[in-house]
Amino acid sequence: MRKAYQAFLKGISADLFSRIGAVLVTSSILSFLLFELLRIGGIVTNAYVGLITYMAFPLLFFIGLALIPAGWYRLKKKTGKSYRELAQTQFSAENVQAYETGSRIMRTILLLSLVNVIFIGGAGLRTLHFMDGPEFCGTACHTVMHPEWISYQESPHAHVRCVDCHVGEGVDALVDAKLNGMWQIISATFHLYEQPIPTPVHNLRPARETCEHCHWPDKFLGNRIITHVHYNTDEFSTPEYTTLMLKIGTGAEGMEEGSHWHVAETNEVRYASIDDERQEMIWVEREMEDGSVRRFTNTRLRSSGVTGEEHIRSMDCVDCHNRATHIYEYPDDAVDQRMQRGFYNLNLPFLKERVLGAIINEYPSVERAMVGIENHIRGYYRRDYSDDYSGWSESIDEAVAVTQAIYHRNIHPGMDVVWGSYPNHLGHRNSRGCFRCHNTNMVEESGERISMECTLCHSILAYESDVPFEFLRSSDEVDSTRQEIREYLHGEFRETSGL
Amino acid sequence: MRKIVLLAGIVFLSFALYGSFAADDAVEGRCMTCHREVTPGLYNQWEESEHALHSITCYDCHSANRRDPDAFQHEGAYIATLVTPQDCGQCHERQMEEFTHSHHARAGQILESADAYLAHVVGGAPAAIAGCENCHGANMVIDDSSPNHLARRSWPNSGIGRINPDGTLGACNACHSRHSFSRRQARQPETCGKCHLGPDHPQKEVYEESKHGIAYYTNVDEMNLGAERWVVGQDYYEAPTCATCHLSATREQPITHEARARISWNLRAPISSLMEDWEERRENMQDVCSACHGTVFVDGHYAQLDGLVHLYNEKFARPATQIMSILRENGSLESPASFSNDIEWIYWELWHHEGRRTRHGAAMMGPDYTWWHGIYEVGQHFYFDFIPAVRETEDEEAIQFIDNLLENDPMHNWLSRNTDELKGEIRSGEMQEMFEDFYQPVLEDR
Repeated sequence: MRKAYQAFLKGISADLFSRIGAVLVTSSILSFLLFELLRIGGIVTNAYVGLITYMAFPLLFFIGLALIPAGWYRLKKKTGKSYRELAQTQFSAENVQAYETGSRIMRTILLLSLVNVIFIGGAGLRTLHFMDGPEFCGTACHTVMHPEWISYQESPHAHVRCVDCHVGEGVDALVDAKLNGMWQIISATFHLYEQPIPTPVHNLRPARETCEHCHWPDKFLGNRIITHVHYNTDEFSTPEYTTLMLKIGTGAEGMEEGSHWHVAETNEVRYASIDDERQEMIWVEREMEDGSVRRFTNTRLRSSGVTGEEHIRSMDCVDCHNRATHIYEYPDDAVDQRMQRGFYNLNLPFLKERVLGAIINEYPSVERAMVGIENHIRGYYRRDYSDDYSGWSESIDEAVAVTQAIYHRNIHPGMDVVWGSYPNHLGHRNSRGCFRCHNTNMVEESGERISMECTLCHSILAYESDVPFEFLRSSDEVDSTRQEIREYLHGEFRETSGL
Repeated sequence: MRKIVLLAGIVFLSFALYGSFAADDAVEGRCMTCHREVTPGLYNQWEESEHALHSITCYDCHSANRRDPDAFQHEGAYIATLVTPQDCGQCHERQMEEFTHSHHARAGQILESADAYLAHVVGGAPAAIAGCENCHGANMVIDDSSPNHLARRSWPNSGIGRINPDGTLGACNACHSRHSFSRRQARQPETCGKCHLGPDHPQKEVYEESKHGIAYYTNVDEMNLGAERWVVGQDYYEAPTCATCHLSATREQPITHEARARISWNLRAPISSLMEDWEERRENMQDVCSACHGTVFVDGHYAQLDGLVHLYNEKFARPATQIMSILRENGSLESPASFSNDIEWIYWELWHHEGRRTRHGAAMMGPDYTWWHGIYEVGQHFYFDFIPAVRETEDEEAIQFIDNLLENDPMHNWLSRNTDELKGEIRSGEMQEMFEDFYQPVLEDR
């Protein structure tokens, strides 16, 4: 059997091309099987190996397969003999001898072709499957995708595959994505992409199609209480508490309320923004179920002379949740959150200020940043607190490490991604967010404006307060200067919660 | 044989390379052993600086390559006195890139301008060196007989557009004074006031007169000037300084080292024009304003500024500039040399002095500079110095231009009308109507 196969291989390698082809086919199929076995056996776990197994080997296999007939064709041209005559010189007579079911050599070719079809099918499926995995998206175009890959892995959707949101379902989506991918390969190879990748991305799958697989608008979310702890840049990194009860509500029919009212089935909210940047609105309108429309126009544009092309969009999830997955932190928030989670020893004086200063400094490279962050924190305590320095060394080591991690998580010099490159529209803390539409310039013909009452979207239970839930406490417990507003907000909260 | 020579060569080169690195290590940190005694002020400034914290020592900035034109041997090392943007850019790369492409960096290349011409013919080289070049920056002259290879007439110099021997433009220490490189100092208005003051561009004085300046000097102790992060509205909110509006970080924008990144009008030229990409620049500035002001407030300010700039342009700058070009084309100026005729000085000061004061005053809310130091003087000099001087030239075309202007231009024909009638028009608002379309950036064709 082995001898027969060897004879076959020898016979088929009639020309240099065919010989290379035969070598490629044989070696790539064997390597593929070997790598696949290693992967299944758990011996190789590196995600990058997939690039070779599922992309390089099948490609080499195809090239080899094409080279074999190419070699025969070349030989035919050169010698002027027919294929039959060539076959007779290449293979032994008994193999070429025609039987009822064709020659033995023909049967071998047919059998091997069947093997090839199975291999191509199997490998193709594996390739497609591999290309659907986040490791492929995140690491294949490693420079371009690095920031997104890092932020994705730490996001709430870290266990949802990239393709689930970015490709969608069905053959059309697959073909679209693969064609788009061809352009991306060219763009990555010849560096035709912008740095950082500009947003908003206009050719995403419709959010309602993808997000609503899991988060359907009828889902009732009700009210949710959150507390932001903000640490000051004073000696004690003094905390301040802001507690909000967010009125998230639902888009379910008959129960539309809260922020998710915007995506309720019973009404459609549309807007036109300048140059489709989704920042400055030209107008915002709401179409009711009965077809009536209320339109609010930006009066500021008329007076400031700002113009731009009108792009109309129906509001969906990503108009607010524009960073549902690829979340980039803001420096202040990044430090506050880690302080709140106890990653820092807050007994170090001026810690917030030092840490914040260390991460917002600009560094020409990641390596320089690591050294710079360390010097900025450690150098300060060594110089200005030389007596206490040795006693604090463990806390300082920790502070340096946590701060360096914040930098790694958010800053990507290779793609020019720096603080604030990708604003988050959820809320209005660090970008205009809600205020893009909810501002006093948006006026209806009747003179009515879009509401921007604070308590429209959240009850306020503490605002930059010394203690959490300040406004729910009795007056003898807290600073009495805010008595009136505390009573008002307390009342509003009770009313909203139906207490 | 050849192989042996090659091998010996490689061995020798490696030793030489090792030697040169070893020398660097030996020099690093040694400067201070003497300099803390010889120049204690300099040493102490450095020791208190952020640079010291990050172990950036003398040699990191002052080391030189043996072949640099300004390199000199000092205690066994090659040293350069001059620290150029290229040196600073070793660490501060983006800042260096931004700065070297900025307008400030080109401030030293002014030899072809009217200003430099004046300094050399009306004044003389010593005046150009001690005056102009100390703001604009000198073209550094190498003098091998000088101990640090820098010629005395160009060193010392910290002008912002200094032309350095390594080919770079600029001096970071124009604003970031050595050797403390203090954040506090770079952020305060006095730093910019070294150059941006005086009769031709009194930005510092306008600022002091403005509500912004008043607020700053009232609250200077609460300005958090030394803070690590200095975002307007968040880390300080009492007042803006020059840096706040033109350079510093906002909630949306990072620090920039291009002072024109937020400026939409060119208020420097004889006739003002909107800058390239002025919309983006104006948006950048409006983003700064928005830390403390609402959009309607900001839009209103810009409408008032646009109105004033158009008034200056259309009423005085365009006619005066056009008349000057008629006079030059017709050869009607008496003396050939530039600035040898009285009328050239009148025109020059019209735009370069009072004309700029007018516009800078309006841009930065200095009402007195807009009117009394500004367009009041532009008008008075236009009507009673410039026009008589034009008539004296006896250039028929220019005189005809003026006669037509004074007779037919509704902004100028008041000169030949009845006072009571004019006052009536002011009272009724008719007089103000002709400026209705001025309050926008782009003027429709008139």
